[in-house]
Amino acid sequence: MKISGTSTLTADRAAVYRALNDPAVLVATIPGCRRLEALGEDAYKMTVAAGVGSIKGVYDGEVRLTDHVEPSRFTLKAQGAGAPGTIGADVLVTLEEDGGRTVLSYEADAVVGGMIGGVGQRMLTGVSKKMADEFFRNVDAVLSGAAPSALGGAEPAVPQPAAGTAPGSVFTAPAAAAPAGAQPGFVVGVAVGAAAALVGAIVGGWIASRRRG
Amino acid sequence: MTTKLFGERVLRAEDPRLVTGNGRYLDDLGHDALEVAFVRSPHAHARVVDIDVTEALDVDGLVAIYTYDDLLADSEDHGTRVAEPLPLLIPHPTLTHGRTQHALARDEVNYVGEAVVMVVAGTRYAAEDAAERIRVDYDFLPAVVGIEAARTAAHLVHDDVPGNVAARMVQETGDADAAIDAAPHSLELELSIERSASMPMEGKGVLASWDADDESLTVHTSTQTSTSVRQAVAAKLALPVDRVDVVTPDVGGGFGVKIVHPWPEEVLVPWAALRLGRPVKWTEDRREHFVSSAHERAQLHQVRVGYDDDGRLLGLSVRVWHYHDAYIPYGLIVPIITSTQLLGPYKPGVYRVEFESLYTNTVIVTPYRGAGRPQGCFVMERTMDAIAADLGLDRSVVRERNFIQPGEMPFDQGLVFQDGRPLIYDSGDFPASLDKLRKLVGWDDFEAYREVARAAGRRVGIGIACYVEGTGVGPYEGGHIRVETDGTVVVSTGLTTQGQGHQTMLAQIVGDELGVPFERIRVTTGDTRRFKYAVGTFASRTAVMSGSAVALTARTVREKALRIAAQALEASVEDLEIVDGDVRVKGTAPGQQGAHIDLGAVAVLSNPLRYAFDEAARRATQFAAPADPDKPPVEAGEHPGLEGTDFYSPTRSTFANGMHAVIVETDPDTADVKVLRYCVVHDCGTLINPMIVEGQIHGGVAQGVGGALYERMEYDASGQLLNASFMDFLMPYASEVPEVEIDHLVTPSPLNPLGVKGAGEAGVIPGSAAIAAAIEDAEGIPIRRMPISPSELFHLRQTHGQDPA
Repeated sequence: MKISGTSTLTADRAAVYRALNDPAVLVATIPGCRRLEALGEDAYKMTVAAGVGSIKGVYDGEVRLTDHVEPSRFTLKAQGAGAPGTIGADVLVTLEEDGGRTVLSYEADAVVGGMIGGVGQRMLTGVSKKMADEFFRNVDAVLSGAAPSALGGAEPAVPQPAAGTAPGSVFTAPAAAAPAGAQPGFVVGVAVGAAAALVGAIVGGWIASRRRG
Repeated sequence: MTTKLFGERVLRAEDPRLVTGNGRYLDDLGHDALEVAFVRSPHAHARVVDIDVTEALDVDGLVAIYTYDDLLADSEDHGTRVAEPLPLLIPHPTLTHGRTQHALARDEVNYVGEAVVMVVAGTRYAAEDAAERIRVDYDFLPAVVGIEAARTAAHLVHDDVPGNVAARMVQETGDADAAIDAAPHSLELELSIERSASMPMEGKGVLASWDADDESLTVHTSTQTSTSVRQAVAAKLALPVDRVDVVTPDVGGGFGVKIVHPWPEEVLVPWAALRLGRPVKWTEDRREHFVSSAHERAQLHQVRVGYDDDGRLLGLSVRVWHYHDAYIPYGLIVPIITSTQLLGPYKPGVYRVEFESLYTNTVIVTPYRGAGRPQGCFVMERTMDAIAADLGLDRSVVRERNFIQPGEMPFDQGLVFQDGRPLIYDSGDFPASLDKLRKLVGWDDFEAYREVARAAGRRVGIGIACYVEGTGVGPYEGGHIRVETDGTVVVSTGLTTQGQGHQTMLAQIVGDELGVPFERIRVTTGDTRRFKYAVGTFASRTAVMSGSAVALTARTVREKALRIAAQALEASVEDLEIVDGDVRVKGTAPGQQGAHIDLGAVAVLSNPLRYAFDEAARRATQFAAPADPDKPPVEAGEHPGLEGTDFYSPTRSTFANGMHAVIVETDPDTADVKVLRYCVVHDCGTLINPMIVEGQIHGGVAQGVGGALYERMEYDASGQLLNASFMDFLMPYASEVPEVEIDHLVTPSPLNPLGVKGAGEAGVIPGSAAIAAAIEDAEGIPIRRMPISPSELFHLRQTHGQDPA
């Protein structure tokens, strides 16, 4: 399943690139992300609550970033699994300068299995794009300072004075400070990426939608 | 003696359950199932450009959204055939341009109502909410709507079907044009019939459950053919047929529309259940039924007929334009029936018929009760009346002179019927039927009645119409009968039932054949878990086909029962009889010690046992009685159990017939048409249950009156159905349906063991023909198109120079 899209972020390319590689940002901005653990350089383990109806569940996954060409592109490989099914995705992310803003493009090739695979392509891609859009909006809010608390609230749960990406660093989503639009339960994608953000997009997959009330 | 059942007005065993609200219809099942709603095309002809589901994703309870792309991916991933067009069920060599739809539209929609997106959710409410939020972009294409647009073919429905013509077929028995040209008299008529539809109170519906552990699929569907749905679903989903069962619950009417299969929903719902691993259900709503199921009847006819001074036909040439509409899954059955059954009880001289079956951008046409016969009857009977008018002869006399005589049976019309077999009438006594009808309606006294009415300022008219109906088409039906050890008789047949009283009728047959009381017989239909070989319920065939099959089966079971009882009673088979479920030596008193054994005990003995699981079973165990040590307990050629299966497969259809007479009154001011009397003489051979037959006739007449005076499908020029609700589509109520006066003529069919002929459709066939004749008689204005509304009659009066009174 192919998913692609673009998003314009109100920060320069270097800032976007950094944000997308900052686990504290990611855990606060990936919709439904509960926990993000650094496994090593450019590798994360994450837990995302996602789904609705028959594919609602908690998904555990891993994301690796490769092929870095800072600050213009990277590839994100994600794999996730939860009770409702599995998702694997390769996502190519490219960043382009546009007068102080950044145009981010992603192209994902996702493979889904289990129940998730049975809900229809348009629904999967629709949810993925929606999650990606939401994720980028959240990132943009952080970059523009509209959601400063997101960063501040996402402290490493295990003290790790060094860089946030040291292996074993664990980041959990601030319970009360999720950016607008990132209500838990809307799912997403999995994958995400680490960096990239793309996360949502990536993975595409989780479907989700939110339960009212 | 066992109370005689066959031929009696036995009350329907089904009714206490059905009329007290205890029927189990499709929507009564599967309360925990996911539910489905469809996004259907709002356009008659368009290309699907884009489908955007984004707005639907927020709907609480949404589970899945499917489009054609998912079907395609599924066929690639799983080897299924869900992405292929639905089957063309009845191929024919002349059907050179057959097209069928995809379960979900691929890139083009061809009628308003064609399914484009399938939504699955926890509830129907959620599914409908999500469906409403899905945006489909279309590029419009010119819609081909109506007879003229299809024939002129300025635009095509399918790009690769020139002239919008799917098939052109000619049948002829000689040079009809030459015969007509040489005839002393000839005339031409142009006739047409509008669209109507089966319109069962219960629409379609499907419930499917996939058992992943057992790898089996169970489908409940409101169908007229569970066995063929089973085959079709298995083929589409690439499942072994053995892993699929189809059960037909109570069905709230079919009238033909549910013989079509697999409907898109019958493929999609089981497919979704398979992929989601959960039960999935869809229940058709009324608007869906109007726009996305099927209609019938619309045809245009040109008639040329040549005849002698007495009104005898010398040559008849008919051209038919039949509208099958967007797709043609059921093939050419309707126009084939029209073009053959048009002949009715008459000898046409030399006959030629040619039809074209045309595509338009409206919902498909498939058989509706009568299935092309009402149109054919309308053509022939209007022709008879025109000849009588031309020659100044009594209309009944012209008919009589053209009748096939009883001594000419079996009569070969020289054509090929809908079952691919020769159109040979097997039985009937048309002069006797006409005599009965004239007496019943008071034909000879009518002129006096007309004068009395006229003196009172009333306009009345009388019309008659005759038909012959091929019923009980093959290829076969079967039956299975097992006698349980408690004496209960369990009967299964594979075709389905939609409220006709099949359980009662079949129990009457089995009861008499087997000598068992009615109350002890249980009949199951339409459940492939019980009986896997069947064709379906259509063409007035259940009594003929399944009735004959269970009769034959009952005879084999009876033979076996007598064989076993003869051993047990140490009597010879010839000396035994079965009375009230008890096998006894003829001439002995009921219950006489050692001279009788009840069927339940025979069933016990039929199944040699090792284990005495209950008191009755003791008799069949190894130490219960001395046995021949040199014979195996189950002898060669025998099977355990008092049961049997048999099939009935006739060489060709049996032909029922009937004649209707109608008296109408037309309002001189409003042109309202009121049916004053409706008389039916009916010959369906031997009657199994006259009450049920009469009920079938009543229902048929109601639909015939509806088709003649009220029902039509109002499409606008862009292919929108304007009256797709019961507020706008007029069906007759009890207030519009006349009391039906019935007389039976019984000419048994020589083709089956019961002498029966089908009765299910008969009542509807001559409705438009007879009512048109009566209105014409009352008004003195030729009636060439049906149905006719008061407004149309009013305008006809003006056209013919009659001032509004």
